[in-house]
Amino acid sequence: MNGAQHILEAFHRHNISTVFGYPGGCIMPLYDALVDDVGVEHVLCRHEQACALAADGFARASGKLGVCIATSGPGATNLITGVANAHRDSIPMLVITGQVPSGLIGTDAFQETDVLGMTLGIVKHSYLVDDADTLPAIMEEAIALAQSGRPGPVWIDIPKDLLLSQVAEAPLPQPEFREPACPDLTDALAMLRSARKPLLYSGGGISLAHAEDRFRAFAETSALPAVVTLKGIGNPGKHNPYNLGMLGMHGSRAANRAVDECDLLLVIGARLDDRATGKLDGFAPNAKTIHIDADAAEFNKLRPADLAIRGDLNAILAELTGALTSKPLAIRNWQQQCRTWHTTGGFQAADNEEALAPITGPAFIRQLSRIAPDDTIVACDVGQHQMWVAQHYEFDHPRHHLTSGGLGTMGFGLPAAIGAQFADRNRMVINVTGDGSFMMNAQELATIRRYNLPVKLIVLDNQCLGMVRQQQELFYNNRESHINLDDNPDFVAMARAFDIPALHIERTDQIRRGIETIIAYNGPMLLHVAISRQDNVWPIVKPGASNREMIDETRRTSTANKEQVA
Amino acid sequence: MTPQTEIPTPRYTLNCRMSQEAAALERLCQVVRIRGFRIARMAVETAGEHLDIALTLEGTRPIAMLQSQLEKLHTVAEVALGAPAVARSRSA
Repeated sequence: MNGAQHILEAFHRHNISTVFGYPGGCIMPLYDALVDDVGVEHVLCRHEQACALAADGFARASGKLGVCIATSGPGATNLITGVANAHRDSIPMLVITGQVPSGLIGTDAFQETDVLGMTLGIVKHSYLVDDADTLPAIMEEAIALAQSGRPGPVWIDIPKDLLLSQVAEAPLPQPEFREPACPDLTDALAMLRSARKPLLYSGGGISLAHAEDRFRAFAETSALPAVVTLKGIGNPGKHNPYNLGMLGMHGSRAANRAVDECDLLLVIGARLDDRATGKLDGFAPNAKTIHIDADAAEFNKLRPADLAIRGDLNAILAELTGALTSKPLAIRNWQQQCRTWHTTGGFQAADNEEALAPITGPAFIRQLSRIAPDDTIVACDVGQHQMWVAQHYEFDHPRHHLTSGGLGTMGFGLPAAIGAQFADRNRMVINVTGDGSFMMNAQELATIRRYNLPVKLIVLDNQCLGMVRQQQELFYNNRESHINLDDNPDFVAMARAFDIPALHIERTDQIRRGIETIIAYNGPMLLHVAISRQDNVWPIVKPGASNREMIDETRRTSTANKEQVA
Repeated sequence: MTPQTEIPTPRYTLNCRMSQEAAALERLCQVVRIRGFRIARMAVETAGEHLDIALTLEGTRPIAMLQSQLEKLHTVAEVALGAPAVARSRSA
């Protein structure tokens, strides 16, 4: 068995049956081995970046390891954005690249790049294989490492000659990454019981720990008012009466108000990032903080924790739930207050009753949320549409919402939707994108067509880079700079060129019919939705400002610009 | 010219033991840099399959944050914070 064959053998051993890749010179031995392997489905994307982002989407939707493969040089460099995306959101991923033959490393050979060196900052770990006999142990370790503790991408760079070398038979090591035992929660429970206004704050760490069910049980049992980060959307479930939705820069007034007023913040699986907290000085000023996470490096990084607890979230949530089941919290007034705030300060968007009115992003997303099946997976891109989805689509599970949270990668949505569709061929998968993001990986329409994936594509087209335009309007005295996209191609014709049927809508009375048509269609379909160039995402907190200083539509441009000048 | 104020920059010593792998030192140095510290001195010794690295670092962020990030590196076996070093001044 040579190195390439060994890699496939490791895939089989670990039940890795779907990989995303693009062939080229130095990875050809692996592609040669794939010819004889019927157990691994290789998905040929049209750009290596899309391979990595599709593997990312596969991992987010399935909870399994995403795998992507590319050749040396440009193949590897094209992967980088996708791998960085996975790194920032702690997505378990295995990256395999071919490298120039061992003897040519360091000679500026054709398609040689120092992959190991240039990717150090975007991986959980990485290897440059220098001996074929070490490959089995490296594969085992890499697969385990990518999925253990705080997950992340692990990259294996393999010289071509080692892919062709025979690998010595040897017993495989069993890497062990022991999760910490459940810590003592006595202090946490005491703090919870003594708080009058405790607030539950959860993020993407819940699904990374596969703790969705345990979290849901805890949220329901504790009946704590709850806010979520962008990646935590869906954690409490859409039927939880105390779910105040997303906090932060584009969070709800209710969520930010609750953070502002709470006296205890119970942070679980979240890293308190700047888009969520706003200016740290003004964040949860009256609250003590309990921070629970799998990664101790997150403690005290930005906000000092009064109590930091590292451990397996499943075990911790189970113990907290048990303790609160036998003795519930007495926080009725606070619960009622939060529900009132949610009623008056939740995300609201009027459904325009006027048939001929132009479509607004929020109104469209609310209709989509009502019409799409409950277990639909929505993969977003980055920009205004991403925030409208976060605000107005009601998700009942965090794995239903695929979004590039940490890196904010335009072009994520389409390949992520492809990955999600491979994770579950029978699931409704919708890519909601903007005209800017769509063009970043539009070549993947060919992948959708090739594999006849029934992915639905919704392009909210405002003919500009809307989020940048909005911030230029609000914070740069309306000085628009290089955001104009009014020379976009005809997206309907473009989809049809890939043999994907497409529709165009532009009026309110066309929304329902448009959504129902693409959902009912048995195959991929694109819905092009023309929206106003001037629509903004509300509310918004100016970058660097406190969440208390939210700007909404009634205090728009002039006020914000005055504040900027002042 | 405006007179410059002397601001003391905290200095730390950090001892690291890590396994010898490709790019081990680069990985360590990359984390030190991105987490806000400057390497003032670095001594490396091979100890069997390990590398023992003694770092003198300067930076204004909490050293515990860097320590916890270094401990996460797969190749790092141990990170020990030495006694605080004498603060060095730099111009503002």
